[in-house]
Amino acid sequence: MAASISGLLKPWTPSVFLVRWSRYNPYYLEPEVSKEAYSRPETELSAEEKEQRELKALRPIKAATSGVTSSVFDDPVISKFINMMMEHGNKVLAREIMTQTLENIKKKQVEKYHKASEGEREVIECNPYTIFHQALENCKPVVGLASIQKGGKYYQVPIPLTDNRRRFLAMKWMITECQDNKHRRTHMYEKLSQELLAAFGKEGNVIKKKYELHKMAEANRAYAHYRWW
Amino acid sequence: NLAAAGPEKFTLEYIQKQVEEYEIGKRHLANMMGEDSENFTQEDIDLFDFIYLFFLLKQICFYFQHPDEIFPKQRAVQWGADGRPFHFLFYTGKQSYYSLMHDLYGKILKIEKHQDRLRAKGLFSQDAQLISLGPSRWLTKEELELLLVETISTHDYDRFIKLMERMLAMPYSSTEEEFVQRYRRQLEAQSMKQMMPPLEKDENGVAFSTAEGRRKTSDSSVILRDCGSGHITINGQDYLQYFPVLQDREQLMFPLQFMGVLGRFNLECTVSGGGRSSQAGALRLAISRALLSFLSEGDGEAMRQAGLLTPDPRVRERKKPGQEGARRKFTWKKR
Repeated sequence: MAASISGLLKPWTPSVFLVRWSRYNPYYLEPEVSKEAYSRPETELSAEEKEQRELKALRPIKAATSGVTSSVFDDPVISKFINMMMEHGNKVLAREIMTQTLENIKKKQVEKYHKASEGEREVIECNPYTIFHQALENCKPVVGLASIQKGGKYYQVPIPLTDNRRRFLAMKWMITECQDNKHRRTHMYEKLSQELLAAFGKEGNVIKKKYELHKMAEANRAYAHYRWW
Repeated sequence: NLAAAGPEKFTLEYIQKQVEEYEIGKRHLANMMGEDSENFTQEDIDLFDFIYLFFLLKQICFYFQHPDEIFPKQRAVQWGADGRPFHFLFYTGKQSYYSLMHDLYGKILKIEKHQDRLRAKGLFSQDAQLISLGPSRWLTKEELELLLVETISTHDYDRFIKLMERMLAMPYSSTEEEFVQRYRRQLEAQSMKQMMPPLEKDENGVAFSTAEGRRKTSDSSVILRDCGSGHITINGQDYLQYFPVLQDREQLMFPLQFMGVLGRFNLECTVSGGGRSSQAGALRLAISRALLSFLSEGDGEAMRQAGLLTPDPRVRERKKPGQEGARRKFTWKKR
């Protein structure tokens, strides 16, 4: 009895080697880093949240990764974007580019704010984080295409996408766009800030790409019933 | 270690002889040590130093554990002298498992009969006492196999669990609570298992605690002093100089910021081995452990659930032969 429970608490290797496996036993739960989650008193929680709390008290928890903190400045979306921009493990450079991008966005917006007249000033958004989130939201596609084989031919079938997949596609398009379609003398942060501001205003190449995908999905609407899941 | 020598079958007489010898050896030991030979229990044997005892007991072959714990549990012979099996389910092949399922279903029928009787009298109520099991888990497949002294398949085990769940879901199942508890194990809260470093006081009366942490190949040790200034020294240097990257400094401050005690403590750290990120991770673990002695139980539990107290088990995966790296394969050439 004691042997099997302590077997669940050690770093392990699975007996059947899957392609993606982690050093943690599947018995471990994900950590919850934000401070607010622990400051809520018992009375405010629903039944499921109480059950979750009890489960967390009994199970071991994985270690927090080195990219997350409980600080207010830590944003999971921005962390994910930095990781996707990172090449050959150079997190320092990727993070530097991200901070420069946000600074650049702020500069441009503040410049625009000071140049604008009284009426327009309320509309101008200066917070680079809201601009980033909104731009990413605008870039997310609603449906995607899957290549499904039927009767010897491959058809592009429109399928619904999960939230994670949509976010991934938006970020991927943004990064590839900024890496490919820029003049060799412009810096990455410069091009990124331009694209993000354009996406915030629903213009730019990334938005165009999203609309093309939607058009393709609409054109292939007839094959939607080929999807079986 | 006799029991580890493969799937040998020990006869019942042999094991009984071992048990008698164990009892005699226990009494000899008690007489030699001058203890009370009647009430000499296993715990008293465990307290003695084994090397010392070995020289004393060279002539007597004595197991330091009861033979039942050394030899695996075996089934006695299942049939009598006339060849007729004792158990009515012997010819199923898994008699203990099927008799358990049979008993369980019998209990379900009994509960249903009880419910019918109550319904006939008009006393049936839907929300009457379901079994309260507390924080516990079902027996794992291995534990069930040990209990039944026979092997069962995963399918059998799943069926057993489903039938148990079905019985628990019925109202008025609290009559069978004792039966169910035999097949459950209590889960103790994880927070009980935390090792807290002791809180010491140095000559100026300042409270401090020391803790160590490891991550990948880095080792770190941290002394947390309750001074109130917030200075951090790593290997003699200032932390700003040692960790020029913001991410590493954030990791250092993470436990302190999470608990809201940023300016309160002085940190004196030493770290060696690994790279910059793993050194920061090792320091973070050491700081969280040292902080445990200054905080209450609830705060310690919050830190554990935030993932600050788990040592990160991820290490570099080895390169495999036939591949270029740990995962990357060689370029596939069609011909």
